[in-house]
Amino acid sequence: MQIHQLPYADPGDPDVRSGTRFLLWLGRNQLGGQVKSLLWGLLLYLGIAGLPLGVGLAVQAVIDRSGGGLARAGVLSALLGAAIAIGDTMQHRTAVTNWITAAARVQQLLARKTAELGSLLTRRVAAGEVVAVSTGDVEKIGWFVEVLSRFAAAATTLVLVCAGLVIYQPALGAVVAIGVPVLALAALPLLPRATRRADEQREKAGRATELASDTVAGLRVLRGIGGEELFLGRYREASQQVRRAAVRSARMWALIAAIQVLLPGLLLVVVVLYGAKLALDGRITVGELVTVYGAVTLTHHPLRTFEEVAMAYSFSRPSAKRAARVLSLTRTATTVAGTHQRPGGDLYDPVTGLLAPAGLFTAVVCGDPDAAGKLADRLGGHPAEEADGQASVLLGGVALDELPLEAARTAVLVQDKDPVLLSGTLHELLDVPSSGKVSAAQALAAAQCGDVLDALAQASVDTGGDPMRTRITERGRSLSGGQRQRLALARSLVTDPEVLVLDEPTSAVDSHTEARVAAGIQRLRTGRTTVVLASSPLLLDLADRVVLVHEGEAVAVGTHRELLAADERYRAVVTRETEEEALVDSEESA
Amino acid sequence: MSAVIGMAPPEYDPAAPRSAATLPVGTAATVRAYVTELLRRHRTAFAVLIAVNAVAVIASMAGPYLLGSLVDRLAEGARDLHLPGAVAVFMVALAVQTVFVRLVRLRGAMLGEEMLADLREDFLVRAVGLPPGVLERAGTGDLLSRITTDIDRLANAMREAVPQLAIGVVWAGLLIAGLAVTAPPLALAVLVAAPLLIAGCRWYFKRAPSAYRSEAAGYAAVAAVLAETVDAGRTVEAHRLGARRIALSDRRVKEWTSWERYTLFLRSVLFPVIALTHTTVLAAVLMIGGVFVLKGWMGVGQLTTGALLAQMLVDPVGVILRWYDELQVAQVSLARLVGVREIEPDAGDAAVRPDGRDVRADDVRFGYREGVDVLHRVSMDVAPGTRLALVGPSGAGKSTLGRLLAGIYAPRAGRVTLGGAELSRMPAERVREHVALVNQEHHVFVGSLRDNLLLARAGATDVELWAALGAVDADGWARALDDGLGTEVGSGGLALSPAQAQQIALARLVLADPHTLVLDEATSLLDPRAARHLERSLARVLEGRTVVAIAHRLHTAHDADVIAVVEGGRITELGSHDDLVAADGAYAALWRSWHG
Repeated sequence: MQIHQLPYADPGDPDVRSGTRFLLWLGRNQLGGQVKSLLWGLLLYLGIAGLPLGVGLAVQAVIDRSGGGLARAGVLSALLGAAIAIGDTMQHRTAVTNWITAAARVQQLLARKTAELGSLLTRRVAAGEVVAVSTGDVEKIGWFVEVLSRFAAAATTLVLVCAGLVIYQPALGAVVAIGVPVLALAALPLLPRATRRADEQREKAGRATELASDTVAGLRVLRGIGGEELFLGRYREASQQVRRAAVRSARMWALIAAIQVLLPGLLLVVVVLYGAKLALDGRITVGELVTVYGAVTLTHHPLRTFEEVAMAYSFSRPSAKRAARVLSLTRTATTVAGTHQRPGGDLYDPVTGLLAPAGLFTAVVCGDPDAAGKLADRLGGHPAEEADGQASVLLGGVALDELPLEAARTAVLVQDKDPVLLSGTLHELLDVPSSGKVSAAQALAAAQCGDVLDALAQASVDTGGDPMRTRITERGRSLSGGQRQRLALARSLVTDPEVLVLDEPTSAVDSHTEARVAAGIQRLRTGRTTVVLASSPLLLDLADRVVLVHEGEAVAVGTHRELLAADERYRAVVTRETEEEALVDSEESA
Repeated sequence: MSAVIGMAPPEYDPAAPRSAATLPVGTAATVRAYVTELLRRHRTAFAVLIAVNAVAVIASMAGPYLLGSLVDRLAEGARDLHLPGAVAVFMVALAVQTVFVRLVRLRGAMLGEEMLADLREDFLVRAVGLPPGVLERAGTGDLLSRITTDIDRLANAMREAVPQLAIGVVWAGLLIAGLAVTAPPLALAVLVAAPLLIAGCRWYFKRAPSAYRSEAAGYAAVAAVLAETVDAGRTVEAHRLGARRIALSDRRVKEWTSWERYTLFLRSVLFPVIALTHTTVLAAVLMIGGVFVLKGWMGVGQLTTGALLAQMLVDPVGVILRWYDELQVAQVSLARLVGVREIEPDAGDAAVRPDGRDVRADDVRFGYREGVDVLHRVSMDVAPGTRLALVGPSGAGKSTLGRLLAGIYAPRAGRVTLGGAELSRMPAERVREHVALVNQEHHVFVGSLRDNLLLARAGATDVELWAALGAVDADGWARALDDGLGTEVGSGGLALSPAQAQQIALARLVLADPHTLVLDEATSLLDPRAARHLERSLARVLEGRTVVAIAHRLHTAHDADVIAVVEGGRITELGSHDDLVAADGAYAALWRSWHG
């Protein structure tokens, strides 16, 4: 797999039984890339290991007063230089390709998983956790994937160099062969403590970032009412704690760095001492002594990968575990196979006894907003919060829970209390799967979005005042609550489903506009089944029938005016007045 | 940016700015001024770091020198190598090097951490000093991403890049000096390789910073799509947008990886250049030195020392290039952070003091954009203690007018005054002693309940805090908390209901005690039962104050002393509820349909 071929057409079916298995699965899928990276890495490290040979040959050549020998040493150095340049570049290219392809694969898997789980996801796992996988964990997994082949190449090179030395100069080689593993392993015992301190530091940094972002998020409150100094003081304290923790962590790394100077230095002393004696005895040449010295000083290049791979592994393991956990979530399918018909007809909820006749505009009044939300969710079938033993809502007699999810969602669209505007242009926002019978312009007009279009047209600096091509910022934050709500409503109207369920679609819309929106919905949905859960009289007044659901049961049915006149409970819910005012009202009318 | 060699950068640039209404990004001059100031603040630590580093590097050169003299003696055929002496010197040098390398790492980290702490604290100081109008308009999203993403990105640069670069430069310089001291002709070898390195680096660094910026933005965009899909889970499922979200994610992956591919190409040019530079230096030292030795102008020991020093150059050069890169990327984040400094703090004139509580708007015009006014010649007078309700359709300018009356925005023309003094000329700290805007944003800060209240009146006693909670009917649930006022609330702490959060916001108002309040749909996002309860709390807070309520629901308007109907940026009807109903205009029509 090359980077330019990304994204994967199909990122595959990962082994998510554990973090380690997930890492292995990723590795198995790029074995070729790992091998390539290993081979180029060998060229690189062997090239570096060969450099001292050139130096030794040159020194020996000038001692022997051989111009030809010097030239040969020069040619060898040049060749090694070319090998290093090619090996370094290609190793980097292949290793980075491994990391990018692994990261892209995990990102694609996450995208598919989140799309599959939809509303269930955040009930199973914290939203932050999923995002943390995508922002932090993917990188750590990628790092491990990248460093793995580099480490393998470095370790192989060290073995080869030690073996070569042992064969070529057994006594000196033995010293090096014993010394190098000690060097490789010396810092490892310190790593857990160093990483623990690094973790402490990260935790403190996370806390400081949280305080800072919390302060910024509430900044308008602070600027409006005061308390900046209090929060600055708090943040300064947290920030200084981060600094102290970081320095504490740095002490450990500084110690490791010192050990990495001291131990190779000691090995070098032994090698020089012993080598000088051998040279004095004429058992090795001066050039060879220089070669061995140089080779020992260069071992720190491959040795560093030992530390890096240990770190990468310890960082990536919890990341892989978390990724595996998120990717292992599934939707429990309760679908009965073979039901592929498109249901239609009356919508009936056996639990509350709520009936929404086909083609009519039914309003539902439900004193408790939480209960209204749950009822709306159930009306669409496959509710996010599955209550055991509760009978499914029926559409034309067909149980929605038993239809495939896609079919149920196609038949009934439930717009919850807090619909999210996905970022993109207005055109993209309204470009949703739909019946195709309602145009964007019709829907926007029905939802009274004229002022939103004006605002977007004004904000469109580079799109020539075309509101449809203007970008809506994430979650529509640049718009007011009422504007967002009406755009979401327009999107639902464009979809034009068989049954449209709206939960408080105009709660943030002012009374002037609400009356017009209600009329718009009624006009556009003529002949289609519409259920609106609401408490505003402006909406209720336009409904064909109003159902009062009290304590989980449909207790009264009629028009708004009928119920207002006849039902005390209904009046209490819809006339949003305090008891005192209600008293005043009744006195006035009396 | 034209690529002469190989590959052109991808066409789509995720780092290109896409929205206009954000905070400024610092200019090169601002960034430079800030960096200079930062360095000056820490110059002593810098000097110490460089001195410590110099000692470590000089000690590290002992090995090559000792081996050089050893080689000299061996070449001369000497029988006595003075090994014990040489080993003793080597051991001392090694000890010094060990101690000082540790110090370099530690001092480097300390310096980096101090600069980083300064930077993030400076930023927050600036952020909390921003004029409320700027915050209102730009929102806090951009600031938020600066304090999280950009600080994170800068962390590495400050923590490592700045100290490591200083170390690398000193290190390389000393090694080259060592080479020159050993044998001046050997320093020529560095000159042989320099043109290659300089040309390669110029080519690379001309393209790299913006490419890395785009790459980072591309990667962030991948995560952003996912975060949005997670956040909008219900909407995505209800509208059957799953397949589209996947397609969008895949597209972002493609955009991101095309930048990864481009930066990989850039490094594919830089890496061989660096590798060839190193071997060119080494080979040149060997050849120049070798010829000089053969000619008898130089000793073989000098050649050995020179070659080993040349070999050691790999490390500092690697350090410099590694971190120079990071610094280039960090520069972008730094520009975003210091950009906040370019916004005028809007100090206001401390001499402007209100005389009385009368709020007046006088022929006010206002627009968010040049040439497009949202309010047209609005004039009104709110007498102390009056309740004024602003009603009207969405987008008519109610909220904007409310913000002008609260002193958050300054009018483009005309005046908004409090007690005869212009609100826009007062410092924000003065304005808020008198006027407060209450909106749907009832942020509960991370921290104790006490901190959440103290912000409104620093130094208030617990008794006063409880009294404020009592005034808004919140002392019941607050007393039931395990730790009382010390209870940790906000994200990560005890989760409060929206109604409780709103009560805290109201309790803050009681503590801050401004005489004029502008209410912008303060309770509209709450469910009806909670709203009813809250309205009682609110009613107590409002007692005796001037209130401008942006009325969302008609029953709020009904209670007001004066109702202003705002339509198309103008006040079209003004009067009491009864007056307006009697006048039989737009308000009357609406009231009838509401009240049935």
